[in-house]
Amino acid sequence: MEIMVSRSSITTTGNNTGAWRFVRPVYERHTAPCSAACPAGEDIPRIEALVSEKKFKEAGEVILMENPFPSVCGRVCFHPCETACNRAGFDDAVAVNSLERFVGDLLDTSDGSLPFEAKEKNGKRIAIIGAGPGGLSAAYFLSRLGYSCEVFESEEKPGGLLRWGIPAYRLPEQVLDREIKRIESLGVKINCSTRLDSSFIETANESFDGVFVGTGLGSPIMMNIPGEELGIGWEVFLKEVKKGTQKEFKGKAVVIGGGNAAVDVARTLVRLGASVTIAYRRRIEDMPAFGSEIEIAISEGVEILELVAPVAIVQNAEQLSIELQSMKVEGQDGQRAKVVNDGDKKKSIVADRVYSAIGADVEDEWKGAKTVSRPGNRSALYNEKIPVIYGGDLVNADKSVTSAIGSGKEAAIMFDILLAEGGSKAGDEEAVKKTTAACQVGDGQSLSFEAYIGGERRNVVEGVVKFEDINLNYFEKTALKDKNSMKADLNGFDEVESGIDEVSAIYEAVRCFNCGICTDCGICSLFCPELSVLTGNEGRRIELEYCKGCGICVCECPRAAMSLVKEAE
Amino acid sequence: MQQTAIPKKVKYDSEYGSTDLLNPGHVGCPGCGAVLAMKFALHALGPDTMLVIPACCWAVIAGPHPQTSLNIPVLHTAFETAGAAASGLRAALDMKGDTKTTVVAWAGDGGTFDIGFQALSGAAERNEDFIYVCYDNEAYMNTGNQRSSSTPYRTRTTTTPGSGKVQRKKNIVEALAAHRIPYAATASISHPEDLIRKFKKAKDMKGGTRFIHIFATCPTGWRCPSEMSVEVARLAVKTNFFPLYEVEKGVKYIINAEGELPVEEYLMTQGRFKHLGDTEIQRVQAMVDDDFAFLKKKTLL
Amino acid sequence: MKKVIEGSHGVSEAVRLANVKVMSAYPITPQTHIVEALSEYCEEGLMDAKFINVESEHSAMAAVIGASSGGVRTFTATSSHGLALMHELLHWASGARLPIVMAEVNRALGPGWNIWMDQTDSLAQRDTGWIQLYCEDGQEVLDTTLMAFRLAETVNLPVMVVLDAFFLSHTFEVIDVPDQETVNEFLPEFKPSVCLDQDNPFAMGQMAPPPFYMEMRHNIQQAMMSVHDAYEKIEDEFDNIFGNRYGKLDAMLCEDADVVLVMAGTAASTARTVVSALRKKGVKAGLVKIRMFRPFPVAEMREALKNARMVAVVDRNCSFGVGGIFAQEIRAALSGTESRQKVAGFITGLGGRDVTPEILEEIYEAAQKMEDAPDEAIWVGLNN
Repeated sequence: MEIMVSRSSITTTGNNTGAWRFVRPVYERHTAPCSAACPAGEDIPRIEALVSEKKFKEAGEVILMENPFPSVCGRVCFHPCETACNRAGFDDAVAVNSLERFVGDLLDTSDGSLPFEAKEKNGKRIAIIGAGPGGLSAAYFLSRLGYSCEVFESEEKPGGLLRWGIPAYRLPEQVLDREIKRIESLGVKINCSTRLDSSFIETANESFDGVFVGTGLGSPIMMNIPGEELGIGWEVFLKEVKKGTQKEFKGKAVVIGGGNAAVDVARTLVRLGASVTIAYRRRIEDMPAFGSEIEIAISEGVEILELVAPVAIVQNAEQLSIELQSMKVEGQDGQRAKVVNDGDKKKSIVADRVYSAIGADVEDEWKGAKTVSRPGNRSALYNEKIPVIYGGDLVNADKSVTSAIGSGKEAAIMFDILLAEGGSKAGDEEAVKKTTAACQVGDGQSLSFEAYIGGERRNVVEGVVKFEDINLNYFEKTALKDKNSMKADLNGFDEVESGIDEVSAIYEAVRCFNCGICTDCGICSLFCPELSVLTGNEGRRIELEYCKGCGICVCECPRAAMSLVKEAE
Repeated sequence: MQQTAIPKKVKYDSEYGSTDLLNPGHVGCPGCGAVLAMKFALHALGPDTMLVIPACCWAVIAGPHPQTSLNIPVLHTAFETAGAAASGLRAALDMKGDTKTTVVAWAGDGGTFDIGFQALSGAAERNEDFIYVCYDNEAYMNTGNQRSSSTPYRTRTTTTPGSGKVQRKKNIVEALAAHRIPYAATASISHPEDLIRKFKKAKDMKGGTRFIHIFATCPTGWRCPSEMSVEVARLAVKTNFFPLYEVEKGVKYIINAEGELPVEEYLMTQGRFKHLGDTEIQRVQAMVDDDFAFLKKKTLL
Repeated sequence: MKKVIEGSHGVSEAVRLANVKVMSAYPITPQTHIVEALSEYCEEGLMDAKFINVESEHSAMAAVIGASSGGVRTFTATSSHGLALMHELLHWASGARLPIVMAEVNRALGPGWNIWMDQTDSLAQRDTGWIQLYCEDGQEVLDTTLMAFRLAETVNLPVMVVLDAFFLSHTFEVIDVPDQETVNEFLPEFKPSVCLDQDNPFAMGQMAPPPFYMEMRHNIQQAMMSVHDAYEKIEDEFDNIFGNRYGKLDAMLCEDADVVLVMAGTAASTARTVVSALRKKGVKAGLVKIRMFRPFPVAEMREALKNARMVAVVDRNCSFGVGGIFAQEIRAALSGTESRQKVAGFITGLGGRDVTPEILEEIYEAAQKMEDAPDEAIWVGLNN
């Protein structure tokens, strides 16, 4: 006789427990704060994820998607990414900038091989005035979109500020050359020693479909004090050093200013053998130069005289006497101290040379930039017969290299929207706003080229990952490392910072929270009571047949790469 | 530059939560901690395992006839019999010459702390060769949340309404350690790595009774959001409400994690404690502090 | 080989010869001698088995349920309160269709504490799905225990072998203990019908919802009814090998009897002498000894009692509010017959009180005088 007892003969896999669900977990890409802060809109969490897996080449390719200058930016960017980094709230920000340099320097595209295929040439031609970071970036992205680009540069070599304004100990020329060569390999034609003036724009429509103006800040700001003509402009000095016409100066120098230009001049003078004093009208902590640069300058022997404003430069026999008005702090002016004259208190210092480094402004002839287009407003659109877009320092608020790169990319995207076949007509600001809004990186200023061309980043949902969104239980505080090690050689213009090695790079990359992106860590699957998180070639997915919508996966996700959405009724 | 070891990048699921011994489609409540406990345990134990399950939530989750959610042999037994039935099963396997299979009794807190305590104590005293697991959801959840001797002080259950249970939670590990069994340990679904290590250790300590007490969140009964299931368990550890520790041979205590958070952070995540005022919370804090201090003293023995 | 041993040890010897692999028990008088002997057999290597010294009868039954589910031959023994404590798991064992064999020594339940002979403990378990076989003497105990394993494993139901406290458990008799080879011939190695299997994993004993439960219960009933044929075949085989048979019941001089005494256990031996004496006096007395109580041998009972004018059932038990349990069962069995013999119930010998020849004669005389059977049981041997 057959025995009938309660015993199993089938599994529970036939039960559709997914029918219990009223919310559903989904994998969603969110924007990391570093990416939102990055003026070039790089996909930083993805870059670090790849570095942590030792996929350095792939990491480099992810940078190149959004930025043609990883090695340059890895050296000179003021890295707002690190300021925005969520990890800063935990132990210390990830050394994103050092990692960018590490990845960029490993990227070998000298054979002309690029990780993406340029679109077929669309027959449209864009003229680019100025081969600085903005113009070259515009050329880079436009070329990838199928445009033929011709760059016009007044100097004998391309690079703009990167070549002439940044000392070699911070940015070696061969690093710059390598990255420019990569842009040229896309077919970009650079005409050096070709100065165009603004009248070019009037007739540009005869040979071009659009013009990008990236002429930078060619006009130094004057101190407007007696004897000003006895001083030397920072941009003149730095260019002479780069060109090799200034090789040695053993005397005493005073540099007036507090920005990066002032520090660059001071450190360059140290290398020429000078004894250097920086005179700044506010306090050291108010200086607009990068803090790290100031620290290094001090360590290299630069003296900083705070709270002094120059009132006159007087020839004093062989030397110059700089008359200084003492200043005092009286309240705040935004982030900086507000200073006023400290009565009649005056000082004077004697020096062999005085350098003026208080900034630069747009040359008069390029001051016609109209500010329009889209929120963020870094590229200005000047619209006559053909689109004319101003970029770089001409329009950027923060006058940084990376912002210039971002503006070049933004301009490229805008040209593409405005010139699209059968698409929006020139001047259709609405179309520009709508399309660029869809490519905006988080709530930041930059646009994602990847999103524009329909890549993965197109799927990023709104909002930026906040510190509270990170599940800190999956991270351990780490011992901090020196992000860059210094070579204390002041005799030449060798690069001072040596960059990080592979071990440190991986160490740093592993520290990255990878905010908002799935790194396939498996926490969602680990804690799924329904065994409903599956792994496939396309990454993780939820088996909805069984998922009851408990939401543990979303709650436990270390990096805010998942969300719960309501099931349709 | 000082060289520091690169933190290991773990693929968590394959490392700690991959098992083909548990099937989806089971009827555990959304966010069930007891299911996670089983998932991690099976990851550690592997297929050469036989389970003995008395009446408890898992008696349902394992599947009604003719289904099973487990791809290993399972013996369902009466509520109070896990310790005894597992003894008998172990004896049968031994007599058949099967020493490879690990027998695991898998009971809830009611079946362990209360009705099954006698059979468990008997088995532990005989030092029966099996692993006894209590997945603890701190009340009779399968019958709709009635208090057990595992229910913590001032917990509201359907049979301790109002200001909640008057008595404190029974210290079951201490009771088992008193049997001088080779191994007793606590574990939590929020700490799968630790849990799996303990199961592997227990499995390798073949030859006596090994007891593992797993903290298993019950979102349904504790009235917390299901997505918080793991986080609630984690907070229990981080507040020392449920410390993670091991006891070897009944005398050697090892604490695995020391919490620092105030117990209020744990209590306030759950509806069952929502009625507690500051005075009661402070009382719970004092009890937790005393218990943890006592536990620490035991590590000095 | 013939040995002078206790009835308890008749059980122990049978269990040893049956090659039981896992045993578990908890001490309770008067069952202890059975398991003490088994413990010694294990210790001395006379048995290759594991004896689990549990902390209660409940756990004893749970342990053998676990072991039987693991696929080995199992045995336990208990009595009285121990059996009552097992009650829940008696249902579990039969519901899981586990061929567990248990010796149950009939003993009274408290209060007041009473360690002596009484049948209420085992009869109270009549609805648990266990086969129940009652024994009269030591040889029958040994033989029945051996047959119990065959029967249990044939029909996949547990078997309770019942013997009287002290009168049988502690009484030394000559018992012919067979040799192992002969026993092996009768009782081959255990091959479980259902047991946990690592190679083919499944769950057993789990929740059975309404669409399934009733069929499983019906299946138990069918198995129980199949015991009748199975038992006969097994006993034929046993008889062939060992030359002993006992039947489901033992009818003596019933063909022409006026009054037939019916009872189970050692009192049947006393009754046998009483009936013989009555016959010598020319009184047409008869006797039925009940051996199998579950399943109840309705056909055999009807056949044995078909000519009796009056059936006098001697119950050493009481179902309060109804009377003797055997009497009720027999009334129920006879109710479907045309003759519908009258059944008078007598309750005596509770809590170890002797059922003497005088008591049985008194019962016989009372029954003989009756025209109709009374509705209520008559209590015999009460103190004034």
